[in-house]
Amino acid sequence: MQEKKGYVSFVLHAHLPFIHHPESDDYLEESWLYEAISETYLPLLRNFKKLEDEGVDFRLTMSITPPLLSMLDNKLLQRKYIKYLKRQIELSGKEIKRTAGDERLNKLSHYYYDRYSDDLRLFKDVFNCNIIQGFKHFQDIGKLEIITCGATHGYFPILYVNEKTVRAQIAVGVQTYEKYFGRKPRGIWLPECGYIPEADKYLREFGIQYIITESHGILYADPTPIYGTFAPIVSPQGVVAFGRDIESSKQVWSSIDGYPGDFNYREFYRDIGYDADYDYIKPYIAHDGVRVPTGIKYYRITGKTEFKDYYNLQWAKDSAEKQAGHFLDCRTAQINHLASFMDKPPIILCPYDAELYGHWWYEGPYWLYILFKKIYYDDCNFKLITPSEYIDKYPDIQVATPCRSSWGANGYSEVWLNQTNDYVHRHLHVAGDRMCELATLYPNAKGLKKKALNQCARELLLAQSSDWLFIITNGTMVDYAKKRIKDHIGRFTKLYYQIKDDKIDEDFLKDINKKDCLFPDIDYNIYG
Amino acid sequence: MPRKTKEQIESENKENEVKKATVKKASTNKKTAKSKEEKPVKKETKSTTKKTTTAKKKSATSATSKKESTKKTVAKKTATKKASSSTKTSAKKTTKKSTTRKTTARKKSVKKQVKIEPVEYYDLPYRYNQTVVKVLAQTPTTLFIYWDISDNDRKKYEEEFGEDFFQNSKPVLIVYNDTLGYKFEVEINDFANSWYLHVADSKCDYRIELGRRPIVKNEKLKNDYIYVATSNEMESPNDRILFNKEQKMVYYKNVKTGAVTEKPINTLSFITNMGKIYDIYDLYKEMYQNEDVKEIYDLKNPSSHPSS
Repeated sequence: MQEKKGYVSFVLHAHLPFIHHPESDDYLEESWLYEAISETYLPLLRNFKKLEDEGVDFRLTMSITPPLLSMLDNKLLQRKYIKYLKRQIELSGKEIKRTAGDERLNKLSHYYYDRYSDDLRLFKDVFNCNIIQGFKHFQDIGKLEIITCGATHGYFPILYVNEKTVRAQIAVGVQTYEKYFGRKPRGIWLPECGYIPEADKYLREFGIQYIITESHGILYADPTPIYGTFAPIVSPQGVVAFGRDIESSKQVWSSIDGYPGDFNYREFYRDIGYDADYDYIKPYIAHDGVRVPTGIKYYRITGKTEFKDYYNLQWAKDSAEKQAGHFLDCRTAQINHLASFMDKPPIILCPYDAELYGHWWYEGPYWLYILFKKIYYDDCNFKLITPSEYIDKYPDIQVATPCRSSWGANGYSEVWLNQTNDYVHRHLHVAGDRMCELATLYPNAKGLKKKALNQCARELLLAQSSDWLFIITNGTMVDYAKKRIKDHIGRFTKLYYQIKDDKIDEDFLKDINKKDCLFPDIDYNIYG
Repeated sequence: MPRKTKEQIESENKENEVKKATVKKASTNKKTAKSKEEKPVKKETKSTTKKTTTAKKKSATSATSKKESTKKTVAKKTATKKASSSTKTSAKKTTKKSTTRKTTARKKSVKKQVKIEPVEYYDLPYRYNQTVVKVLAQTPTTLFIYWDISDNDRKKYEEEFGEDFFQNSKPVLIVYNDTLGYKFEVEINDFANSWYLHVADSKCDYRIELGRRPIVKNEKLKNDYIYVATSNEMESPNDRILFNKEQKMVYYKNVKTGAVTEKPINTLSFITNMGKIYDIYDLYKEMYQNEDVKEIYDLKNPSSHPSS
């Protein structure tokens, strides 16, 4: 039996922007949630359960962001998800008939039918339509540590010109966490890993002990951390920062030689939404008849070719197992190398978008399951750990201020501040200032005014989502993101004037409260 | 550009910020509403022509037309979507109410049926009519600055320095590096309301001052420089491992007890092995011998979004 010389810590960041349109069924963007539940969240829960049943001791950290929690807890979206599943089951049922003449395809159709049927069973019968409880269970039995995030994933390095708006993102993030998990979060995933030292005091104020940063958040820290990203640092204000390991990130993320590019894995971009006969698939694509992915995909990556081979479930599993072994060997070698230099066990931090696992990399949850089993059963030199456990075991931490950084392209703020989206920032800043003005003007508001002030806070928070800026930069679904910014700034501004003029339109308030209904317990005084 | 009174601007702003109309109104007044809304859009795109001091000018016209066209499509899409959905919901509501309220008079329920849900349409305010300068760091060496001068302040300058003050002077940004104690000036223009600025030094405190330099001096306008506003102060991010720090001690904090301890650097086994503290970069090079270390840092990490 090898001596345990170090630790590996997986952190999955589960986030989706708050998308909730009770006014229409036509918003395609709502399906991001349904796809993520079916392809990422339920597969993760299935695999955690398997590990639990098999007696495998594993550790994982997940941030589940407040907007995602709010959507998972939303009755309308739960109903809509069930509707989505029923459509998926109906479509895969049709596919079983359509592909009857092709044994390989037919097997896959059956697979999708079974899988979506099981999703429905799990969602309705096991989780009672609320999968938050599923994640909470694994936190309660000590396998999973759930951390929080900024209230609406607002990007701190842009918001902090008004620090109160950063404080509110943290405060509401922590409050939402407490509501769902019945305890305080020990860690936070800074939205987009956007670190600014100015936020530290607020993180501490709300009891946050640690953050996750991009690699150079640690490597470029001041003074230079002596163990690089292989040990956390603590800021002068007392926030512990764990930095992303470069090597393991590259193995998974890299679009060229990363694991998800294996030729046996499911091809993301081939989908019957694009491939099937138009009249046949029309009821299952966008309302306006535009072809969109359905989630039923029959091909594997195959290679750098347009001619794709059918997906083979067993081959995909084989590849995942091989890669899990490779990952294990790499970490073993890395830890062997590092341990000889360090006077405490190194920690290799592996943070990823949760949606990479399953949604983008279909086999990702299975890979994780196999990897965790291997780590538990194989004779390797490391253990899995959560950042909290590491802090508890090794509380003596080097003092250094992390570098202002993010995990976006090139490591700073270019993704959320560039010539495509910089027109937004002044509006976010003014709305932030106006919110603080309102909170100062009316600290003890009651009744309708209080409701209006709380709704103002919701609108401001929703406008601040980093997602809109990201989508504009990215160039897909841009119209939707721009509309969301306009809607939230528009609703905020209208209410701002109504409150100041003491002419609150109750119907309007009710209408937007129905649409933007997250954080029902918010208190606008956080801006005071 | 003809100037408007404060009240006019305020009311226009309010109007632009919030457009509320019933479905009926939206359809009958479509044309007039549209032409009203387009005004601020045009203004906005004209004035937001972006420039980077080192970068070459981009074709402003193509950017403008692109922006306009997207805005229009958004507006159209929203209007149609909302119109169809709002009728659906209102219909549902009335059926519900008529079944539960059996005793209410028929007249009332008829009234309810006529009630049409509001259609929301918003455009971002063209400006907020405030004097402001804000600076953000896009990268360790690129600052983003935006600004505006309120109508009241404009009036004050015109009263003090003459009616043609804004024609007779040009705007400048003065960049203060408060860490290294130097400043430099960049000439901008009145068509822009934001600017990207390259600076030489990362990890420094910066603050930006907006001011004006006279082009033509006259009796009223004798000064060499007129101050307008100062931005927030911000620190630009660091962009390197701080090799050159002379540090003899490493400080540790016990996060459970809060106790701070110090260790001389040369007693740490890691350092002994590595020779000196700032060889971490070399360690990476050693570990990733086959990789270009620079490239590892430039990894294009996907952000947290499903539509990427």
